[in-house]
Amino acid sequence: MTQLFGNNRMWRSHELKKSYDVVIIGAGVHGLATAYYLGKEHGVRRVALLDKGYLGSGSSGRNTAIIRSNYRTPEGIPFYDASVKLYEDLSRELGWNVLFSQCGHLTLAHTDSGVAGLRVRAENNQLLGVDSRLIYPEEIRRLVPSMYLGAGQRYPILAALYHPPGGIIRHDAVVWGYARACDRMGIEIHPFTEVTAIRVENGAARSVVTTRGEIAAGAVLNATAGWASTISAMAGVPLQIVSHPLQACVTEPLKPFLDKVIVSATLHVYVNQTDKGELVIGAEIDPYQSYSTKGTLPTLEQMATYTLELFPQLHGVRVLRQWAGVCDMTPDFAPIIGAAEDVSNFYMDVGWGTYGFKAGPAAGKYTAEMIATGKTPKIIEPFSPSRFRTARLVGEKAAAAVSH
Amino acid sequence: MSRFFFDGEPIEAQPGDTVASALYRAGRRIFTRSFKYHRPRGLLCLSGHCPNCMMNVDGVPNVRACVTPAREGMRVRHQNAWPSLEQDWLSAAQHFDSLMPVGWYYKTLTHPSAWHVAEPWIRKVAGLGDPPPPDAPPREYEHAFLQAEVAVVGGGPSGIAAAFEAASGGAQVILIDDQPEPGGHLRYTRPGEAPASIAQLRGQPNVELLARAYCFGLYEGGLLGVLQADPHPGAHERLVHLRAKRVVVATGAYEVPLLFENNDLPGILLSGGARRLLFLHRIVPGRRCVIVGIGARAEDLASDLRGAGIEIVSLISPDEVLGAVGSTRVEGLRFRGGSVTCDLIVVCGPLLPDAGLLSQAGARLAWSAAHGAFLPADLPPHVTAVGRVTGSGLEPAVPLPPGEVRAGKRHFVCLCSDVTSQDLVDGISEGFEHIETLKRYTTATMGPCQGRMCQLPAIGICARETGRTMGETGTTTARPPSPSVTLGALAGPRHHPVRRTPMHYQHEALGAVWLDMGAWKRPRYYRTAESSEERRCVQGEYQAVRERAGMIDVSTLGKLEVRGRDAGRLLDKVYTNRFSDLRPGRVRYCVICDDAGIMLDDGTISSIADDHYFLTTTTGNLEFVEQWLEWWLAGTGWDVHITNLTGGLAAVNLAGPQARDVLAGLTGLDVSAKAFPYMACRQALVADIPAILLRIGFVGETGWEIHVPAESGEDLWKALLEAGKAFGIRAFGVEAQRLLRLEKQHVIVGVDTDALTSPYEADMAWVVKLEKNDFIGKAALSRAAGDPREQLVGFVMQEDGVPDDGSAVVMDGRPAGRVTSSRFSPREGRAIGLAWVPAGLAGEGAEIRVRVQGRPLLARVTRRPFYDPEGARLRM
Ligand SMILES: Cc1cc2nc3c(=O)[nH]c(=O)nc-3n(C[C@H](O)[C@H](O)[C@H](O)COP(=O)(O)OP(=O)(O)OC[C@H]3O[C@@H](n4cnc5c(N)ncnc54)[C@H](O)[C@@H]3O)c2cc1C
Ligand code: FES
Repeated sequence: MTQLFGNNRMWRSHELKKSYDVVIIGAGVHGLATAYYLGKEHGVRRVALLDKGYLGSGSSGRNTAIIRSNYRTPEGIPFYDASVKLYEDLSRELGWNVLFSQCGHLTLAHTDSGVAGLRVRAENNQLLGVDSRLIYPEEIRRLVPSMYLGAGQRYPILAALYHPPGGIIRHDAVVWGYARACDRMGIEIHPFTEVTAIRVENGAARSVVTTRGEIAAGAVLNATAGWASTISAMAGVPLQIVSHPLQACVTEPLKPFLDKVIVSATLHVYVNQTDKGELVIGAEIDPYQSYSTKGTLPTLEQMATYTLELFPQLHGVRVLRQWAGVCDMTPDFAPIIGAAEDVSNFYMDVGWGTYGFKAGPAAGKYTAEMIATGKTPKIIEPFSPSRFRTARLVGEKAAAAVSH
Repeated sequence: MSRFFFDGEPIEAQPGDTVASALYRAGRRIFTRSFKYHRPRGLLCLSGHCPNCMMNVDGVPNVRACVTPAREGMRVRHQNAWPSLEQDWLSAAQHFDSLMPVGWYYKTLTHPSAWHVAEPWIRKVAGLGDPPPPDAPPREYEHAFLQAEVAVVGGGPSGIAAAFEAASGGAQVILIDDQPEPGGHLRYTRPGEAPASIAQLRGQPNVELLARAYCFGLYEGGLLGVLQADPHPGAHERLVHLRAKRVVVATGAYEVPLLFENNDLPGILLSGGARRLLFLHRIVPGRRCVIVGIGARAEDLASDLRGAGIEIVSLISPDEVLGAVGSTRVEGLRFRGGSVTCDLIVVCGPLLPDAGLLSQAGARLAWSAAHGAFLPADLPPHVTAVGRVTGSGLEPAVPLPPGEVRAGKRHFVCLCSDVTSQDLVDGISEGFEHIETLKRYTTATMGPCQGRMCQLPAIGICARETGRTMGETGTTTARPPSPSVTLGALAGPRHHPVRRTPMHYQHEALGAVWLDMGAWKRPRYYRTAESSEERRCVQGEYQAVRERAGMIDVSTLGKLEVRGRDAGRLLDKVYTNRFSDLRPGRVRYCVICDDAGIMLDDGTISSIADDHYFLTTTTGNLEFVEQWLEWWLAGTGWDVHITNLTGGLAAVNLAGPQARDVLAGLTGLDVSAKAFPYMACRQALVADIPAILLRIGFVGETGWEIHVPAESGEDLWKALLEAGKAFGIRAFGVEAQRLLRLEKQHVIVGVDTDALTSPYEADMAWVVKLEKNDFIGKAALSRAAGDPREQLVGFVMQEDGVPDDGSAVVMDGRPAGRVTSSRFSPREGRAIGLAWVPAGLAGEGAEIRVRVQGRPLLARVTRRPFYDPEGARLRM
């Protein structure tokens, strides 16, 4: 309560120093969480976070903030589960409410093969201790009375994967909460500081050139999501990543009528209602590569069409804003976390595509451990950059493609 | 005169009335309650720009009453207030405002258990209007597509002039205006003085006027998103996709409120709002009026109001004003050095260029102190701006950034979310100094007015508090749609294409139960006279195929013709096995892999002649395969032509021990095993219909896939049924087919394989010809050859129970694999299936545990087909 009225400065600004132990490029949730755990768990506090824009200006401030762990693979599930657990305790830990609403998450299936795909996830979730199960129209109707399950649907809802701990969070609050905690540990956050080059000498990343000067770095972390391949190109590290825009939109506030997150891969859409009453609607990625953050009309129309399939009564509800973020897509819909193979001192936590916000805390925690100890924690080993060379891909596509 | 109902009470409306004007005339002053504090709010702008008049109209929430024409019988309800607008219990919230400073919800309830208790309550009081129930009656929305050489957005004087000029030059012009009549601000600032050019414009044959329409998005490629209300009695709204070579933006300016204490009280109108009441609706909005404003604008307004019989008590400059007095409506105004009583305050607020569209299109917004506004600059080449949107004629109404910030808890910057100047000042001092973060932290500019009302004062406060200029502070990003658009209009008419095969109605007559496969409808199974139960019907169909004869409609398969000298070469390159050596009259199974060696599709390729192949693909992958072939062909210079025959051909698979007898009765072709062996193809007449026949056997019996022109599909179907009657033929559906093929361990790509499967893992090494020169995926497959991590295998359950598709294979309680397909096999008397297992468990006879209803049951691996493992029946 006291902080309601006290001196509430969240963070300070700083001059750039000549050198830092760790320089993190990208102040989204991944960069911030890594800095936070470096400081908190490893006592590494000579850390600078650089971002070309304002705090949270990347996808961390543009996503639809769905948090869940009902993934598909035995590699993915424990990782996302660890992240959700960190989120569950984050408000208390940071003394800052990140508004994590574990309202429950439903992924709909409209075809036989859709049902089978969800069953794979339910089975693996249950075996690995994640609360998740298949439910059928009667129970779906009970959980989501405002959704249309009546006659005449082109793609009737046959079943849903119900994941009670899943939900939504206030993305900006996560960014600000981590940033405030970093600031209090003496970690520096430098918005509007764009990285333009990375100096590699004798096979090791030595310094980072920015629009505000050059800084020497003991270690460099690439946490730039949509721009990840541009940064790694500066260090001469090839990345299996292409960037696609992903669009979303939000409506005017309505009285609460939907308290579950609804996802349908067949309809390429997902919908939830925020605590403020707005409906947040997301699409699938744009079919072309681009760094554009503009919305397009066809995608907006598609989001509306499919939302009305599920909630036809919302035809008169108005869309207020449409936007896009840039997503760093990997071929197997799994991230790339690890040390670069051929350049030392250069780490990456990228490839978060359309689903990386929920992963922030766990990715940050284990990336921090990797940088601080020089050893890769087991839980992130499957995501190592070497998997493309050894053809050991992670089969997460079916669980990550539209369900963010 | 018409009549509508407000909260059940009848309200009279005059011609030209909006819902709001009729209610105002009937004495209503409170129109809404505010979002957070439930403060009473009344009409402010009367132009659809603010959040103050949102009501429920005919079941639709959040409708702006001031731009909604009143219509006979309408049902209007108030929203977000209980029990009524006059007495809203939640208005008590404003007394607790000190507990709800900016960002209070981030700073409290940080313990998870406290938050879990509080959140449902917070949700309950949030939001504005109630959405209707899911079975509420739908409405009609339309989509239209128009082209113009010049699109003019805005029908005010400058828009009309621009349209006229372009039209006189011979261009074909579309003029978009959101009012019922063109004229723009002249309609309510100079009523009766409609420019002569309106009449001239109407006389121009090459000008089309879209009235009651607004442009909400200026997208790339000259695409304008335009929403038109009530295009005709059959449609509620029409979304027009307008492509224009040139766009003239003449959206004019809009007025925003001034900042003083209680600036949100009912009875405070913007000057434009007062004029609209007066001149468009002939309503005198008060008796004793104070005008807040300076210069000629204020003087003009005073004279207009006086002309309507309103007493102008005082004319006060904005920087003199301290606050309005009153609790639920205006009773007076305090200013430096005194106060007056009044029942109306009219504010001459800053006029801002309505430049959102220009900004969306890529224009820069540059601060101009001389105009007191951000003006558009650096327009993209196909866009021009004219009139007040460029700043012409605009002058500052208040100094910006302000000399001092009047931080107060009743100084409302953002009416949509009740954000006060105090909130902004607090947010800035907490570190949210950038306008984008300030916006997100305070939620100012993020409500239903889309920042129209609050963006400028928020920037002013931010600039002043951080010691920057307005220009340095800058604006937030303009995003479409602006103004907002309904989901219904965006979605348009809700048409979802359904693909039906040529035999669709035959299936219907036979009692088909349908299955969706992409856009296609396919029979899942057929009900019979004896039963409609799926299990029994499928069993009957299964038996017919195994014991007599069955037929299934396979028209949904993708069908491509590949012709040309180099056709074989292309197929060799794209598919993993070899086709250039396929002799005419032969068929070969085929698989496509990507360059990572992952299986993308399978099908058959038949050689019709040396330079002519007939391909089938899976139902879902046709478009992909066609594009994939075209892609790899592009740039080669090879002589190949690919034609998609899918819609042009119908196909039936006839299979079973007596299939030959059925077929023989319908064709002159020698269909003996010798003349027409397994994996051969022929062209012949079947039931007098020209057909391509492939002798293949997905279901494991002697069979033919018969392709005929689509228009003859029904005839073929009927002829086969008729000819098969004597043999006890039955139509079978997808479910029986799935079971039949499972007994043969035939894989369905996309069902049994996933986005990482290579042919080696799918136990189909034989389709990969590594000795071939080069083909797509060769490099990856050469590396993968000996080393699958997982393997697709058959299994037989050793305990009772049929696993559902997707069930887990478990090892020591952990997931080790998954069942892709499983069915009860009448032949085995047990459940059989296909499953992914770790390579170590893939040996013949290995024991695995399959989860059935959560219990790990024993199953045994077998890699030999359950049925006819040698394939003797296929060759018979
Ligand atoms: C519309 C949308 C919806 C989404 N929905 C979900 C969801 O529901 N759930 C979910 O879990 N995930 C979702 N995601 C994905 C998620 O938002 C991202 O994966 C995640 O935010 C990535 O975080 P990050 O910290 O890695 O990257 P970002 O937050 O993008 O941060 C990267 C930062 O790097 C900075 N940067 C780039 N180049 C440079 C440079 N040269 N110098 C300095 N700084 C630079 C950028 O300015 C940016 O701030 C969604 C994404 C989008 C776009
Ligand atoms: S009064 Fe209707 S929108 Fe402002």
